[in-house]
Amino acid sequence: MSLEQPFSRRNFVRAMGLAAAGLAGSGAVQGSDRLLAMTGVLPAGCDPEVPNEQIARIIQEITGGRPIQSGNKGHMALDMPAVAEDGRVVPVIIESNLPMTPERYVKAVHLIVDHNPDPHLAVFHLTPALGEVSIQTRIKMKRTTWVRALLVTSTGDVWADYARVNVTLNGCG
Amino acid sequence: MRGLGDARIKIPDRIAKGETILVNSIVSHPMDTGFFRTAEGKPIPAWFIKDVVVTYGGEEVARFEWTSGISRDPVVSFMLKADKEAPLTMVWTDTKGSAFTRTVEIRFTAA
Repeated sequence: MSLEQPFSRRNFVRAMGLAAAGLAGSGAVQGSDRLLAMTGVLPAGCDPEVPNEQIARIIQEITGGRPIQSGNKGHMALDMPAVAEDGRVVPVIIESNLPMTPERYVKAVHLIVDHNPDPHLAVFHLTPALGEVSIQTRIKMKRTTWVRALLVTSTGDVWADYARVNVTLNGCG
Repeated sequence: MRGLGDARIKIPDRIAKGETILVNSIVSHPMDTGFFRTAEGKPIPAWFIKDVVVTYGGEEVARFEWTSGISRDPVVSFMLKADKEAPLTMVWTDTKGSAFTRTVEIRFTAA
């Protein structure tokens, strides 16, 4: 490619980058964040916004201020339906490929439902005797919200995964 | 499910020594949140299973802390490394102090 070309690929990429930077300052990106929230897909390493003090306190209690690791390279998955027609019975699957050995294992898995009356819904305390992390249960959900699964290892690492669930029928009263 | 506290634990029919197996469980319980009222308008007080203890060969291998956010007739499944022939026991305890217990025997099938 000739350097004399007025619109080389490199310039094009740079121009796109500037355009994106320009967008970041406007409301357009906020709009796309909302779209991401609606579809329940988060870019790697991005955690859903903490909606209030109560959720912040619960997360702080679990992590003790340690950083939360999440995103594409995560070692855990929270699997929930994108749409829950009956908020009284919403299936949850939590899985992790982290080791379960006496030296290093998953100590606890916390389930948090942001907009439920009692958001810190369940804690599963685990031991290496289980061999593998795969937990399934069914929960109640009041309304459309983010669900957070936080995993704490015996070495103090914190992993998280999130699911946005649209709830049609309130299951909490 | 029939009466309160009726519980079932399901494990695979054939288990090889050292295999990691799936354990399914269900217990019959209303899991009342305390937010609902009867048809007559009387509030239904909160009443739910708050604690589940899983022991294998007498050793605690898992413990679950629940709230009324777990659905009615709670199900929970988890993995277990079947490394010994021993009883697997689950005890569900509710907010009134009632405890519901179920035990299955982990036995290995000859290869």
